[in-house]
Amino acid sequence: MPADVATPLSTRLRGFQALFSGTRLQNSFFGLWTLGVFAFLYIPIVLLVVFSFNSSRLNIRWEGFSLRWYSALFSNATLIAALQNSLIVAVATTVLATILGTVGAWMLYRYRFPMQRAIGLLIFIPMVMPEVLMGVSLLVLFVQLLEMPLGFLTLIIAHTTFCFPFVLVGVQARLHGIDPFLEEAALDLGATPIQAFWKVIVPYLLPAIISGALMSFTLSLDEYIVSVFTTGSQTQTLPLKVFGMAKVGLNPQLNALSTLFILATVLIVICSQLLTSKKST
Amino acid sequence: MAGLAAASLGAKDSRTYRRTPGLLAWLVMLPLLAWLVLFIVVPTLMLVVVSFADRDALGRVVYQFSFDNYARAFNWIWLRVLLQSVGYALVTTLICMALGYPAAYFIGRAPVRWRAILLMLVMVPFWTSFLIRTYAWITILSKEGLINGLLVGSGLFAEPVTLLYTPFAVILGLVYNFLPFMILPIYTSVEKLDGAMIEAAYDLGAGPTRAFSQVIIPLTSPGITAGALLVFIPSIAMFAITSLMGGGADPNIGEVIYKQFTAGRNQPFGAALGVLLLLIFVAALWLTQRMREED
Amino acid sequence: MKHTKHLIAALAAFVLAGCGKPAPSPTTEASVPPAEPAAEQATSTSTEPKTLSVFCWSEYIPQSVIDQFSKETGIKVSVENYASNEEMLAKLLAGGGQYDIIQPSEYVVGALIKENLLHPIDHANVPNLTNIKPTFLNMSFDPGNQFSVPFMVGSVGIVVNTDLVKEDIKGFADVFQDKYKQNIVVLDDAREIVSWALAYKGLSVNAVTDENVAAIKPLLAQWLPLVKVYDSDSPKTALLNGDVAIGVVWGGEGAILLNEDKKFKWVIPSEGAHLFVDSLAIPKQSKHPMNAQAFMNFILRPEISKQISDAFPYTNPNMAARALLTPEQLANPASYPTDEEISRMEIFTDIGEQASKVDEIVTSLKVQ
Repeated sequence: MPADVATPLSTRLRGFQALFSGTRLQNSFFGLWTLGVFAFLYIPIVLLVVFSFNSSRLNIRWEGFSLRWYSALFSNATLIAALQNSLIVAVATTVLATILGTVGAWMLYRYRFPMQRAIGLLIFIPMVMPEVLMGVSLLVLFVQLLEMPLGFLTLIIAHTTFCFPFVLVGVQARLHGIDPFLEEAALDLGATPIQAFWKVIVPYLLPAIISGALMSFTLSLDEYIVSVFTTGSQTQTLPLKVFGMAKVGLNPQLNALSTLFILATVLIVICSQLLTSKKST
Repeated sequence: MAGLAAASLGAKDSRTYRRTPGLLAWLVMLPLLAWLVLFIVVPTLMLVVVSFADRDALGRVVYQFSFDNYARAFNWIWLRVLLQSVGYALVTTLICMALGYPAAYFIGRAPVRWRAILLMLVMVPFWTSFLIRTYAWITILSKEGLINGLLVGSGLFAEPVTLLYTPFAVILGLVYNFLPFMILPIYTSVEKLDGAMIEAAYDLGAGPTRAFSQVIIPLTSPGITAGALLVFIPSIAMFAITSLMGGGADPNIGEVIYKQFTAGRNQPFGAALGVLLLLIFVAALWLTQRMREED
Repeated sequence: MKHTKHLIAALAAFVLAGCGKPAPSPTTEASVPPAEPAAEQATSTSTEPKTLSVFCWSEYIPQSVIDQFSKETGIKVSVENYASNEEMLAKLLAGGGQYDIIQPSEYVVGALIKENLLHPIDHANVPNLTNIKPTFLNMSFDPGNQFSVPFMVGSVGIVVNTDLVKEDIKGFADVFQDKYKQNIVVLDDAREIVSWALAYKGLSVNAVTDENVAAIKPLLAQWLPLVKVYDSDSPKTALLNGDVAIGVVWGGEGAILLNEDKKFKWVIPSEGAHLFVDSLAIPKQSKHPMNAQAFMNFILRPEISKQISDAFPYTNPNMAARALLTPEQLANPASYPTDEEISRMEIFTDIGEQASKVDEIVTSLKVQ
């Protein structure tokens, strides 16, 4: 047989294609895209950080390097107290909302409850309802029906109520298409339903649980309107303080605060990642 | 190729797999049900009651039954505001999907130890105060801001371009603030994709576009749907962004309702608008559920 | 899993870091003058518990003033803020907070007095009231100042960026011209907007009757499409960024703009303007009325009032405090309008249920 029988074009093309293999092409394209998305997400953040070192008070023109806002921030007791309050509320909300959302999603998936569809609809209400309606109705509920003082507890309840649907929807998405016999296998091996849930289902759901927790934390940290109506004067959160500051021009102390917060978060994540990679080697 | 998508067969099986709840299940479900009733059902009922009430000169609710609020609500003014708000929410959701999916895919398929960092990095910008980052965007987009500085300085444009206080700015603001809520749910669907299945799709000769559209996207559709819900629904009444970036010229339904509780001093009317919004939403959700069941 | 543990640890670290931070000394950027000698000690009472709950506008009472009051009297003060009168009303009427001091604008004071929701003030407890300029005492919304003391006064006026606008702007007629289309920022306040139209037509800003509102509707339909930005919280942003050239804004915003750049000019509209008087008042159900009156008296002290003016450039009605201000501060026309200009201004009376109609008209015209 002559060795120079032309290899069919299709085979040659396929070999060529293998170089730009589907996955490799896809990954580099998506990698670039993700970079672009991150650039988009961080443009205002970079500006924000830069202006935290701006000597001018109004965040419009750069007028020189200065650390005055950082030092002013450390003596601003009200702002720091507000940040503390926000963090306490956000953490508590995240824990509660994550538990409610995860357990709720699993129970609704696993069991056939009466009025299943009604429950499914009710869960969306905090997401649809404009915040002022939720805030005022909860205020009336707390003060007139339940006669509770306004403070941390009312804030946390209010925040959890509009955060947990986000967790629930996210976990439900992950439950879609789960191997139905995952739990069954665990039960066959002698686990109780609770053990099966904790040791088998939760690890499977973990990315969704973490996503839901991240979303809850973010939502709670920035919530303004609902907080206005459900907080007491001892538990002023950061957005409540920040909002009013716009009247005299947002104080660059807020930029300093945000910069430090971001720095702290990124450092913690990097440190924890370094620790994990050390352990696994 | 279609056979691979039959992995969703599992979902159908699960419906016959679901059990009737026993005592333990009810006990576990009780806190959630109590929460639903106390903090969702009761406030919603209060809202409905107030929507049929009247108010006095100072704005306090006067419990006198009246249909006036609903009669007033059926007016083109409010309907137009609602349609506009829904329109913005829809556009935002679609753009978030297009922008967010590739990023979510990349993070979901990244090496395991990078995933947590990348996810955090997606969220971290939103742990700054909302007002500061919105004012940062205002500084960037304004006539004397960064972008116009580049456009005019480089000679591309003679006059600064009006970027701010336009529908463009509103959508930019909405997409910016809701992008993580699209990326995270899609990520959770991508993360559980079986690498072998994807490689198989490519090996069987499918080009990247077909492997993607016929295999990967259907497999991650629960995540896409979740992301769409978590962006579309809250963004309808998210008026802080629209009024700051849009200049308030195109009012949002959330803003209109908020004003009834403040300047308008007409809480019952605001409640009526809210109830109508809820009803429209519930109807839409019920319809989509019926359509999905008929599949 | 490892990642969860690290996340939880990270969040816990935040909270602990927040809790563990030692409480910094409560001073802010504004310099705190030495405490006044015993001559004008705030009268504190032994029968009331030493707490005070203040519900006020954001950025209106400096923290240094609050801290000084606490230090002098030993009364612990908690501060809650609101962004609009109606927000304050909504929360007050729902009975949520136990507030001792509120900071209503003049028309809200009138409405609250009518509904008997304010605690009367004994002038013997607030002797510093005499520091207030007589023009701002005994006003129609609270004859004899039985229930409120004036805190700060201000006006609504026009700011012009003279770099972009060469024409002389004298009033609303000059502002709302086609040549300034999409170059204007106004307050996002339906009542304010309607009052400008009423003033333009020569009517009283308080004559918000159905016929008047119908009469000004075509005028508003002409004006509103010319507006680019509606902003009650920080209208100065659009002006500072150069996105608009003219604004109809609060006096305080105008003063800040004038201080920031000489290119901004302040004009009180020739047709008439709104003079607002923000006061301190005590809600009826307050449990600490004596502490509240002590607080009022403290605020009315000249050097305390001066501190407030230093921080926020509104019109200070306290003549003793004005004597302590710099000539620069007093020369700012947005902060201190002339007596002639004040005579052209009107305070708002409460329009009650008309507020809803007014809001609907402006919303409907915005939506075009």
